Amino acid sequence: MPTFDEFAPIGALLILSVVMVALITIISRLFGPYRPSLRKTAPYESGMKPIGPAVRRFPVRFYLIAVLFILFDIEVVFMLPWAVVFRQLGLFALIEMVIFIAILLVGYFYAWRKGALEWE
Amino acid sequence: MQLPSLSELNLGLTVPALSLALWACILLVIDLFIPRDRKSVTAWLAAGGVVFAFIANLLVYRDPGVAFMGLFVADEFAGFLNIVVLLTAFIAILMSVDYLKRTGIERGEYYVLLLMTTSGIMFMNSANDLAVVFIALELLSIPLYVLAAFRAPEERSEEAGLKYFILGAFASAFFVFGAALIYGATGSSSLPVIVDAVGRALAGEGSSLLLLLMGSGLILAGLGFKVAVVPFHMWTPDVYEGAPTPVTAFMSVGAKVGGFAALLRILLVALPALTVAEGDAVAGWQTATWVVAALTLILGNIVAISQTNIKRLLAYSSIAHAGYVLMAVAAAGTPGVSDQATRAALIYLMAYMFTNLGAFAVAMAIEKDDGSGTSLDDFKGLGRSRPLLAAIMAVFMLSLTGIPLTAGFVGKWVVFQATIEAGLYTLAVIGVLTSVISAFYYVRVIVNMFLEDGEGDPAAAATPYVQWAIYLTFAGTLVLGIIPSLVTNLSGPVALAVASLVP
Amino acid sequence: MEATGLSLVTVVLFLPLIGFAIMLFMNERTQAGAIRWTALGFSVLTFLLSLGLWALYNPDDPGLQLVQRINWLPDYGISYYVGVDGLSLLLVILTTFIMPVAILASFRSHIFEERGREKLYYLFMMLLEWAMIGVFVVQDLVIFYVFWEVTLVPMYFLIGIWGAEQRIYAAVKFFLYTMAGSILMLLAILYVGINAGTFALPEIIAAIQTGALSFPFDGLFSTQGLLFLGFLIAFAIKVPIWPLHSWLPDAHVQAPTAGSIILAGVLLKMGTYGIVRFCLPLFPEASVAWAPTIATLGVIGIIYGAWVSYAQRDMKKLVAYSSVSHLGFVVVGIFALNAAGIEGGILQMVNHGVSTGGLFLIVGMLYERRHTKAMEAFGGVWKALPLFGAVSLVIVLSSMGLPGLNSFVGEFTILMGTLGSNILGFVFALFATLGVILAAVYMLYFYQKVYMGELDKEEIRNLEPLHWSEKAALVPVLIAIFLIGLQPAPFFRSMDASVDALVRHVDESVPEVVVGNLQMPE
Repeated sequence: MPTFDEFAPIGALLILSVVMVALITIISRLFGPYRPSLRKTAPYESGMKPIGPAVRRFPVRFYLIAVLFILFDIEVVFMLPWAVVFRQLGLFALIEMVIFIAILLVGYFYAWRKGALEWE
Repeated sequence: MQLPSLSELNLGLTVPALSLALWACILLVIDLFIPRDRKSVTAWLAAGGVVFAFIANLLVYRDPGVAFMGLFVADEFAGFLNIVVLLTAFIAILMSVDYLKRTGIERGEYYVLLLMTTSGIMFMNSANDLAVVFIALELLSIPLYVLAAFRAPEERSEEAGLKYFILGAFASAFFVFGAALIYGATGSSSLPVIVDAVGRALAGEGSSLLLLLMGSGLILAGLGFKVAVVPFHMWTPDVYEGAPTPVTAFMSVGAKVGGFAALLRILLVALPALTVAEGDAVAGWQTATWVVAALTLILGNIVAISQTNIKRLLAYSSIAHAGYVLMAVAAAGTPGVSDQATRAALIYLMAYMFTNLGAFAVAMAIEKDDGSGTSLDDFKGLGRSRPLLAAIMAVFMLSLTGIPLTAGFVGKWVVFQATIEAGLYTLAVIGVLTSVISAFYYVRVIVNMFLEDGEGDPAAAATPYVQWAIYLTFAGTLVLGIIPSLVTNLSGPVALAVASLVP
Repeated sequence: MEATGLSLVTVVLFLPLIGFAIMLFMNERTQAGAIRWTALGFSVLTFLLSLGLWALYNPDDPGLQLVQRINWLPDYGISYYVGVDGLSLLLVILTTFIMPVAILASFRSHIFEERGREKLYYLFMMLLEWAMIGVFVVQDLVIFYVFWEVTLVPMYFLIGIWGAEQRIYAAVKFFLYTMAGSILMLLAILYVGINAGTFALPEIIAAIQTGALSFPFDGLFSTQGLLFLGFLIAFAIKVPIWPLHSWLPDAHVQAPTAGSIILAGVLLKMGTYGIVRFCLPLFPEASVAWAPTIATLGVIGIIYGAWVSYAQRDMKKLVAYSSVSHLGFVVVGIFALNAAGIEGGILQMVNHGVSTGGLFLIVGMLYERRHTKAMEAFGGVWKALPLFGAVSLVIVLSSMGLPGLNSFVGEFTILMGTLGSNILGFVFALFATLGVILAAVYMLYFYQKVYMGELDKEEIRNLEPLHWSEKAALVPVLIAIFLIGLQPAPFFRSMDASVDALVRHVDESVPEVVVGNLQMPE
């Protein structure tokens, strides 16, 4: 029966991380020199002058491409752990992965035929 | 880790649900090569997949077992609900063919999404593990979000899709959180394992009782969203009104079947022994379902009275009918009645499926191409201009009211019987009183059709496939009402039991 | 008791449905006449066969006869179980008798000129006949409920489509009112059936008699008292017992003539029949305990109905309220809980069906000619149509309870039963008698206003003579009035054994209260 005790290390980590972040910020603020100037507070501290507003319109195609990228990128997240333990899992895992890839391929093919991959 | 061999997976039992999902993937590709003006081919291919799954389901129906190492159960419970769902999908396809064409939204993806959500519901019926329930829930929901918005860029349809998506995502989150809490309390997500763990947890220190109660409460809330019971019903009228009518019809039955299947299985297989105080005879969730059922019946029926749009009216009526099914769920909390109450819920769902789909089909038949023509005033004079259609609609309305010789009566009958047997007399009285209230608004449709004279143009004739859908549901409504033994025999062996790994 | 062969009861029950099926395939435009005649033919045939029921019926056997039983839903203990006994035989015949009269009354009705849809009308008539016969012959609680609810639907449409100006209001009120009552009965039925393990009424009563089944009773609102009320409220709305009567005047006034005839003739009887058939044998202790209360409501109904009738200027309303009064008699008779009271009650159900059916018939004929139901519009009808006037007089006198005519026999027996009852007694009889006197007042007032007086109205002078179909409708009513009035013995004989068994059952179940067991006066 899992109890809350087992989660104690996680809780400790959580608290520690919050404390660390707070400490660093506060200490550097207290002890570091702070002399702001116009250049230093600009968005690009390196000296570049910003041109135009920060929020700009993108062509909607970028979003489509981005979505497709995320979709097909996810498969790698699944494949990586699969590849690591592939030898222990054997044939069964191979079949599973083939099915997985096949489903992705259907989606890929669909996107292709529908013209989602073409820019114009 | 020992992985199973292929034969241990028992894949044969999963053929009905899996074949449909697989066919949906294949159809998605096939559809790419079907020219734009001949999309009805996709519809018939989809219908063929449904028929195949139906036959496969009948074959495994009498031969229950578990598959996927206990994650998936094929028992009579699932088999019966699969029949309901596949009939729903088939009728929905019949309703869609002409509707999509005349409203100008004919695209092949529609049928693919329909098949996917159908297979999601079928997985839901068979899920024996909280994780599988969740995956099935998503497979059920996501295509439905898209389908609800299928009439985009029309505003109401987009609104329906977005609303359904956001609230549905909330519901899923509730469900996952509830499942996580139960996992936390019992250490397993498998329903048959949970039941033992619950027993042990209750026998020992009661430290995890709170987790279990919160978990089951959240699961009830999450699934309550799907089946639209008060107070989780807010999305229903807007979504039902905005979505394309065949989608609404499918949603009003299919999503409920899936939701109730998971609810019944989780409550009865995993949590039957979950009692609030030690020595309680009835399950702890009975009170919660009791209250929700009563609220649903009262609110659904009363708000339906003031509706002027047939789709909204049917939406509220579908909320009310979820309340009747939930009556059976509440009754199932009393040990000894649970099998009977489960059967009652299933019979009710089947009766409701025929009647409600039929009512939507008629509503669709008189709907105009631009989506107007769904107000109750549009039914005026229908008894004169389209007597047969009006007569059939009258039967559907009487069935929804629960007048004898229709399916609705049989459904109410078995549910009330289970409720009384469980000793929930107050709930039974609320049930019958709200039935009287419901008579008021159903009868008003009949009044409009037969007793009022219409103005404006008479409704156009129903297109052939819609007619077939109407006749099919009409026949189902009457046959179930006159010869109920057909269905009660079918549901005879249904009983939710712990399906273990051992075959 | 078990029988598998085809019973005549089943034939009588399903004959109207066969007529329904045949008419379904007729063409409304080209075969209007054929539809009418098919409806009439089937209803007459049903009547003749139901007389066959009486011929086959053995009056010495108190139990069910001509039984047929088929399993319908074995898992739930529900079966198609029909048969007749002394309580239901006369009412089945009343139903089959009223139907041809009602159909004949519709032959020349103006409603089809205004609303059309003649075929649908006769289809509903056949459906209604089927459902009403079903209510009287079925012995299974669930199937009884099925038929009980199904009668609502055709009647709702008859009022709603072919009724007068306020028809929709009246139809919806009728539907909701009666459904609200009966749905509570559904719960009571379920409770009884679940505890008994079967829904077959004779088996449940047998279980009560042997003591295998009992509903705990200690006070008016104990389990049995509530179950009794669950049934009674459904029946009381249908009867209607004061103060649940408010749907009745609306329904009667708005319904077409045939609808009113059937409503008064048969549908109201379903309520009183239900009390005798279900309330008394299933819940004897509760029946005895509640009897004074219900009978008091009955007496109030008698006087209230008569009083309000007298105040009406609308002929149909007058007859409608007189129904409340007459049915009050029946209720008082039943709750006298002795043989005379119950037999008088059942016979009075038949009498009221014939007399009030007849009254609605003549009111309908007057309405067809003048298109108004106000009494002021008439006067001197006797002089214009002497034969019609004479026939109307007989019906009016019958409704008043003139000796030698049918109602007298029923009312007299009820009063005998009330006087001899240990539960009700003298005061109830006194007030009930007051009702008879009031009935004479409003009925004669009606007759005098409409038929007597000078022939000073042009329209009355030119009243159209009776059509043959109208004459044909009146003749059987007259025959029944005289037959029951002059030869009541065979009617009582058919009930004796069954009613005796019922009274004895109630008597034995309630040993503390000695129910008066006055035998029938021969």
